[in-house]
Amino acid sequence: MIEEPYRWVEAIANRREYIETQLAAGSPIAALGYGEGILFLTLGQARQKLFEIYDRIAMGAIGHPGDIERLRMAAIELASTEGFTRSAADVSLRRLAHYSLSPVMKSAFEQVYGPPFLARLLFAEIGAQPENDLFLRVEYDGAIATNGATAAQRSQDFAVLSGTRQSTELMESFRKSEHAADASLEKALNTALDAWSIGHMSLGKEDVNALPERTAFAQHRQEQVGANSIEAAVLERKGAGAIRYRLLSEKEARDLIGD
Amino acid sequence: MDKLPMALDQNCSGASEDFPSLLRRKGLRQTPLDGPIAGGHQPFVPTESTTILAFKFSAGVLVAGDRRATAGNTVVYDRADKVLEIDRHSIMAIAGVPATAWEMARVLEHSFQYFRRTQLQEMRVDGKVRALSKLLRDNFGFVMQGMGMVVPIFATYDFDTNSGGRLYFYDAMGAQFEVTDYAATGSGSPAVRGILHYANNWSDKPLQRLSEDEAVTIALRALDTAAESDTATGGVDRSGKIYPLIKIVSHDGIATLPEQKVASIFNETVA
Repeated sequence: MIEEPYRWVEAIANRREYIETQLAAGSPIAALGYGEGILFLTLGQARQKLFEIYDRIAMGAIGHPGDIERLRMAAIELASTEGFTRSAADVSLRRLAHYSLSPVMKSAFEQVYGPPFLARLLFAEIGAQPENDLFLRVEYDGAIATNGATAAQRSQDFAVLSGTRQSTELMESFRKSEHAADASLEKALNTALDAWSIGHMSLGKEDVNALPERTAFAQHRQEQVGANSIEAAVLERKGAGAIRYRLLSEKEARDLIGD
Repeated sequence: MDKLPMALDQNCSGASEDFPSLLRRKGLRQTPLDGPIAGGHQPFVPTESTTILAFKFSAGVLVAGDRRATAGNTVVYDRADKVLEIDRHSIMAIAGVPATAWEMARVLEHSFQYFRRTQLQEMRVDGKVRALSKLLRDNFGFVMQGMGMVVPIFATYDFDTNSGGRLYFYDAMGAQFEVTDYAATGSGSPAVRGILHYANNWSDKPLQRLSEDEAVTIALRALDTAAESDTATGGVDRSGKIYPLIKIVSHDGIATLPEQKVASIFNETVA
């Protein structure tokens, strides 16, 4: 196959299509900055999808549980050994994603005789100031999208992850229009739930290009909140200890949204 | 296939491996199991620190340590921190060689967090107590070579069985002993044990019923007494205004007593 580049390209294309199909049903995850930190939110029924990686780093993932687990363990191992041998401040999400996860995921994806990672990951790292926050998405092929400021774009304090590109884009465009950086946790939870609902509605539908009416996604949200459990976690900017990750209990989340 | 830059082919659950094993796999932690340390038999006087005590009182567990570190007859440091926070509800206090003890505390701290992050549940009190025991056992080779002896006290709050504060002391080989009232280790500990035993049995009320201020008074008196006869114990440095470090483990977490408060209780009830 190495001697036949065309077949390799074809195999990669097939593989991409296969993985996209596998991931297409994934329940969206929204991460956004608010007044006191960063909120992660998703709805689901069974499996935990939000995880603590290190003191200031959280991860959300969709995909195959086995693959998510391997990547999660690798990320925790790397962060923990780095934090132990150097210092907690030396653990960096940027390095973790760019130098460790991305190359491994890319090579697994492109070695067509081996299994790829059926997973899409969303990370956030909380900084001392909101402008130091890092949001980062790693795809199954090792591609990375960040909120990082470049000459062309301003840094954004949110990121989303979903089963399809269309769903991801709709959530992003909603978040751009609705979001306030200094929102309370309560407000942020509501915005995240709305974004989740918009993303979730569009899964399985083709060619949805415009945001749905408020009444439509509000109704969808109400149904889904009733049928699923709310999974939410925060990275808090000002904490007493080094560990800034905190899982919100179901009750706490529901009390905040007045459910 | 190239060797991956991370251990993706390992058992993923993490259950088969604790944090010290992870460090060993990555070559980041040496223990005497890897062979004797060169020069271990040459005359060498390690820095040591003493004395620590802990007891249960009405609001939780009080853990206190003097601040002196010595090497032989020399006072190396007078502001050593021997009462170390391991997680939100656990304290390890150390008597012995700080180089080893601080490294142990660091491994322990990361062990608890590594377990919580990988296994998605908090390590139980028994697991935490055992983790420190294993570190001491790993270190015993160094102790036999005449250096690196550590004799810790471990205090934590037990949410699992709802039994409140739990208190343990260890020997250098890693045996753990749970105590109901008080523990003291280090060279000044005989005097401290005498005072705590007396206070617990024959004073107005047992240690477990003391208020915070009363508990701090007893702790300061005990350390001051230990310093009276043991040169390796700093006690209270009256001229340098250096006071023992006192922390309290309770349901709400760990509180470090502000130096001002320790000073005022000392001036009122001890000096």
